[in-house]
Formats: sequence, structure tokens, C-alpha cells
Amino acid sequence: MTTIAIVDDDEAVREALGDLLMVSGLACQCFESAPAFLTALRSHRFDCLVTDIRMPEMTGIELIEKLHEELAELPVVVLSSVLDDATRAKALALGASAWLGKPVTDEHLLDAIATAMENSDPGAAR
Amino acid sequence: MSSTLCDSLRQDAGIADFASESIVIIDLAGSIRYWNPVAERLFGWPGLAVGGAPVADLSPAPEDEARAWSQLLQEGVWEGQIRRLTRDGEVRIVEARRRLRHDEAGIPRDVVEYARLAQDANVEDLPERSAADAAMAASWEIDLTPATDILDRIRSRSQTSGGDDRGDLGRRLLEAARIVDVNERTARLVGGNRGRELMIDQSVASFWPVASRAILAELILEAIRDSEGKRFHRRLASDGILREPLVTIWRAGADRPGHLFITVNGAADDDRSYLFLRASEARYRKLVHYMPVALWQVDASHMGKIYADLRSRGVADFGKYLDDHPELVDIAASSVPVTDVNRSAIELMGGKDAQDLIGPVGYLFTESRESLRRVMIGRFSGDRNYSELMKLRTLDGRVLDVRFSVTYPEPLVELDTTIFSLEDMTERLQMETQLRQIQADFSHAARIATLGELTSSIAHEVNQPLAAIMTNAETSLRWLARAEPDIGKVRQLTARIAASARRADNIVQRIRSMAIKQSPDPVALELNDVVRESLLFVHNEIERRGIRVTTTYSRDLPTVVGDRIQLQQVIVNLIINAVHAVEGRDETEREILVATGVEGRSATFTLKDNGPGIAPEHLGRIFDGFFTTKPQGMGIGLAICQSIVTAHGGVVSASNRTGGGAQFRVALPRARSLT
Repeated sequence: MTTIAIVDDDEAVREALGDLLMVSGLACQCFESAPAFLTALRSHRFDCLVTDIRMPEMTGIELIEKLHEELAELPVVVLSSVLDDATRAKALALGASAWLGKPVTDEHLLDAIATAMENSDPGAAR
Repeated sequence: MSSTLCDSLRQDAGIADFASESIVIIDLAGSIRYWNPVAERLFGWPGLAVGGAPVADLSPAPEDEARAWSQLLQEGVWEGQIRRLTRDGEVRIVEARRRLRHDEAGIPRDVVEYARLAQDANVEDLPERSAADAAMAASWEIDLTPATDILDRIRSRSQTSGGDDRGDLGRRLLEAARIVDVNERTARLVGGNRGRELMIDQSVASFWPVASRAILAELILEAIRDSEGKRFHRRLASDGILREPLVTIWRAGADRPGHLFITVNGAADDDRSYLFLRASEARYRKLVHYMPVALWQVDASHMGKIYADLRSRGVADFGKYLDDHPELVDIAASSVPVTDVNRSAIELMGGKDAQDLIGPVGYLFTESRESLRRVMIGRFSGDRNYSELMKLRTLDGRVLDVRFSVTYPEPLVELDTTIFSLEDMTERLQMETQLRQIQADFSHAARIATLGELTSSIAHEVNQPLAAIMTNAETSLRWLARAEPDIGKVRQLTARIAASARRADNIVQRIRSMAIKQSPDPVALELNDVVRESLLFVHNEIERRGIRVTTTYSRDLPTVVGDRIQLQQVIVNLIINAVHAVEGRDETEREILVATGVEGRSATFTLKDNGPGIAPEHLGRIFDGFFTTKPQGMGIGLAICQSIVTAHGGVVSASNRTGGGAQFRVALPRARSLT
């Protein structure tokens, strides 16, 4: 079964995204911080990551950098209210598949997740 | 009769209505100008019969009258017993008080005489002198007991030598002798400004004129050698106070051993003291007349008598008494006369000349009758001064804001003169209002600038609940679109939507309160709450920079009074400064300490950071407007903080921490009770 990881420090957003993916037939696991997700990544396999950018402890950009460094070929969809073009460009350069602004429609989000997973090389993902 | 005199008599008639005493007004030529109903009853003469007659014609001893009159004209006041012929041809002895009155220019105008029937015509004490003379005498009672040693030495010396050191012993005798009591005339002549009360128990030498001390010492020695209470007289040379005064001295009775009585009779020495007094009074009047403060002189003496009467009847809570007898305020307004005003008072009231302002004092209180009530309570309570802001309607119809101050007469001072001073505050209050408006505009502009700086934080904060709402709503639709809709799930999601919507609303409200322009609204505040609310504005800025914030809230903070939004603005500004200050450090080391506390009568907010601190050369200027070290900064943040804190009666200060970093401290005064 396809499992999506959600990283967002805001509980209301995490819960909403989790419910949406569930009703859409996708399994998902939610994390309140990037380090919590990285820990889980050591022992779990995820098909796609949906992450916020502005978070305490470790930002979404730092998380993507880390995944990039570790050559984790995990498809990444950014979901953020950050409007900064430089940050967006950096995320995309580091391999993020899509950059969605908050709030997002369900169709946009599900399409972006599907596209991200299609474009990635399934063989490379753990 | 001039219109001035007519007016003044009309006021006098107003006073006389309250008086239980005979009141007679005599012009400077000695003719009776006014004779009140009590005087009619006391002496039997109707006012019409004596009007214009010389007052001396009513005296059985015109020479006594003449002496009293000359003393009055020179000293300004006279009191004593006078004898006056009644219509039935009898002689009535009355206790009288006469006062010389002056016009605005300081020129003597007339004489007012208050008189009542003497309780006991106490003339036996001085059988060889007239009653008038006795009353006019400056009298002393002195105690020689402290001088016993000196008297012994004088006695022993006088047996051996008539010697030179006798003068020295005489001087020491007067220094040792104590004043037991003096009458008012003595106090007036030699007491200076100190008055009778302060002369008592002092050394005789401190008050007796130097030139005649030796003679007094001789007289004292003569008197104590006498055992029969004989009187010893000596006429002295004019001494600048009295003209050729006659000193009389005798021993007190056996019940007061060691005590002596002294009387000094004589008219005031006209040449120097009188002219000096007149000149100094003229100078004083001129000074008062041209003073830039508006001054009113009112004569509330008859109210003083009413108060004394009320006190003697046991009235202690005068405020309550006035509640029950509000008419007393009206009586004061219509009967207490303004007796003099200066030039500034005429200008302030928009009058043509002093006459416009001479009259019952009520016109000062048409806009605020309560002020008059408080003035009366102040006098009744024995206060020396009273002051308040009040509205004043001028003669030309303007309404001014004035600082009204009153100086009440001192209890021991014979002349009952109350002084009002009024200062026009209208322009100042308008200016203060304008300044407050400018300050409010300026701080509003600064708040908008702060919000601008926080835009991305705000967008993020509002977008979080919006994102949750949108996703939850769409998820609900998906549950409902299923063949078997899951109503339980939809209910749960709808509840979450409502919660997120409330959260978004709170954020918007908070930001709107900062953004809208409103007049400062001072309310009682807990500083801890203000600090917590301020942190909400900036928590995003703090979190995304990974700054560690430690908060310490004091539990014993005094309540402060202030505008919530403006105080939030101060704290938000200071925290944003601190956030920028620590940005240069490694993320793991960024630290801000927030604390509230109590210092003296103030609640304090302290903010410490571990940034680079403030350059010593900037410490003195960082609160100046348009001073900034930031390339994008306008330099108004800290200036606004200071102006807001100052407007709240507080102090904001900046310093460097010993271990590095800056410290800002805001102290706000404890709220006074909100009444």
C-alpha cells in the first residue's frame, strides 16, 4: 500500500491532510517535525513526502537538503504559505517535485502527489 | 457720594445683614457715612440722623477720639473701648475694632468700625487712665523668676558700688526675663511678622527696643523693690516705633510672684515707620497689580464667623452639612465680596476695569458651582490652600479652562483676606490634546510599519487555519459523496472547521486591533497579560529563527493603567529588536529572556538578549527619533516606545549586560485608585 509522510508543525493542518489522504485511499503517517520524520525514515518506507517549510527546529528546506545529501530518492511535495521566490527555487533545485501554496484544493494536492510518485524512480526508493 | 463709595456701601450693607455687630463706615474726614441697623439699636440714633455727622461729636471725650483716630490712620487698625453718646444722652462703652480701607491705588479710602457692647467695662485696672488709653496701650506681662540670680547680684553690687557693670547686668536681666503674655498691639508694634503666639515665652530683650532697654531695666528694679504694687512711670524718647511713649510698670499681685505688668502708651511714630509702611504697601500693591497671575482679593470674614458658629454647634462634616443646606453656597456666592483684583484678572475676565469685577464673588463660579462648594469646605477644614481645574465663564461670554487656586487667611491674622488666583489653561489644554493626537497618529503609523515587518509571519499564521479549513471541507465532501456517507466523520470534520475558523478569527482580530486607528483608551491592565499577548504577535518570528525564549512572570505585579494596544506595541517592538539582535548568532545560541517584576511602586518589563549589545557611543541616542543602525530601519521604533512609555508616566531605559547583549527595561507606575 502506498504510504505518504506528512510533516507539518501545525496539528490542525496535519489532521486535515491525514483525513483527506485516508478518504482518498492513501495510507499516511503524520510527523510534527522534520527530525521526527527522519528518525522514522530509518525504519519505514514512504512513497511520498508532503512537507511544510516554516517549522521550528528544522525547516522544510533543511529537510529537503538532508534528503538530497543522503541521496534518498523520495518524491517531495512542498505545501507552504511561504511566498519567497528564492526559497521556492531552492526547494525545486534540490529535487522537490511540486511547490503548493496554502491553502490548497484537494485536487491540486492529490494530483501533485500522484505526479511526484509517477516521476520518481520507484526502484531507487527504499 | 461717588459711585465707588456707593458700590462699596452696598456691599457693606450686604455684609451688615449678616453681622450681629454694629458696623459704621467713617470717611477720612471723620464723618459717618454708613450706620447699620445694629448701630441704630445700640446707640439709639437712626442712620439718617447721624449720616454725615463727625463721629467725634458722638464722643463724650473728643480728645480720646482724636487720639484713637490718629493712631488708626497711622497703623491701619485700631481696637479698644470707645465711649459713645446715645440718643438718650447716656454714655455707652463698646468694644470696637476699626480698620482703614484702601482703594486699588493704595490710597486710604475710608474706615470701617465694628463694635459691640463691652461685656465688662474693665477700667478699674487703670483708674488714672481713660478706658480708651488702656485699650490703646501696648501691654506686657513678664516673669522675672528666671532672672533671680541676676537680681541677687544686682542687689549685692548696689551696696558696694554704683558701678559700670550695672548696665551689663541690666542687659542680662532683660535677656533672662521671659514674656508671659502681650496684647495684640504689642505684637503689631514689635512682633514683626511673628505674631503674639510666638512672642510668648521668649526673652524680653528679643523684642524690647534697644534704645530703651537700660531704662526698662531700671524701672523693673524700681518696681520689684516696691512691695505695695505702686506704678512707676517713665517717658521715653521717640524710638522709631512710638512717639515719646510713656512706660508704666507695676508688680503683679501675690498670686503671681515674680511677675510684672508693663504698659506702653503713645501714638505711632509717624515720620519713619508710618511712611515706610505706606511706601512698602504701595510697592507691594503695584507689584501685585502688574503680576502676570490673575488675582482676586475677597473678604469672606462673615463666612468665617458662620463657620466658627457651625463648629461651635458641633458640625464636623461640613460636606454633609452643605448637602443638607445647599443654600449656604448661594449665600456665599451672593454675599462674599470681591474687594480687589489686579490687571491680569481684568484681562482674563475680559472686563474694562476693576469695577467690573468688584462685587459678589458668585460670577467666578457660574460654570462650576461645585468648585465654590469645595472652596468653602477647604476653608472650613482649616486648609491653607486649595487648587483645582475648573471652567470659568468670562464677562464677554467665553468659557475658559482655568487653574483656580485659593489661599485662605491664617487663623491668627486679623485681616480676613482670602486670595484667589486663576491661571488660564485653555491654550495649554488644547495644545496637550493636539500633542496627544499627534502622538497617537505617530504611534499608529509605527504600528502599521511593525505589522508590515511581520507580514510574512502574519500570512503564515492566517494560512495555517485556512489550509486546515479548506482541506477539512473538501474531505467532508468526499465522505458525503460516498455511496454510504459517513455522517459521524463529517460531523468531526465540521467541528474541526469551526475550531480553525475561530482560530483564524482570533488572529485577524488581534492584528486588526493593532492596525486600526483609535484614541488611546486607558484602562487598568495586568502587565503579564500584555506581555503574553505581545508574544503571540512575534512567536512565529521567534520560532522560525530557533530563538529560545525564557519567560518569568512575577505574581505580585501592581496593576497599571494604560492603553493595551500601545503597550503591546512597545513590547512587540522591543522583542522584534531583540530578535534581530540575536540573528547574527548561531541558531543554537540565540536567546531572549523576558521577565516582569516589581520595583518600588512600578511594574517592570525587562528584556535581555545575547546579541552584540549596543555600541557605547549609541547608548545615549537610541531612543532619539530617526536614529538607527539598520540599513532598512526608519529609526522610529524605539522613539515611539519611549514616547508611549513616557505618556504612560513610565520610563524606558537601555543598557548593556555585563556578559554581553543588550537589556531594555520598561517601568510603569502603579495605578492610582480609579475613582
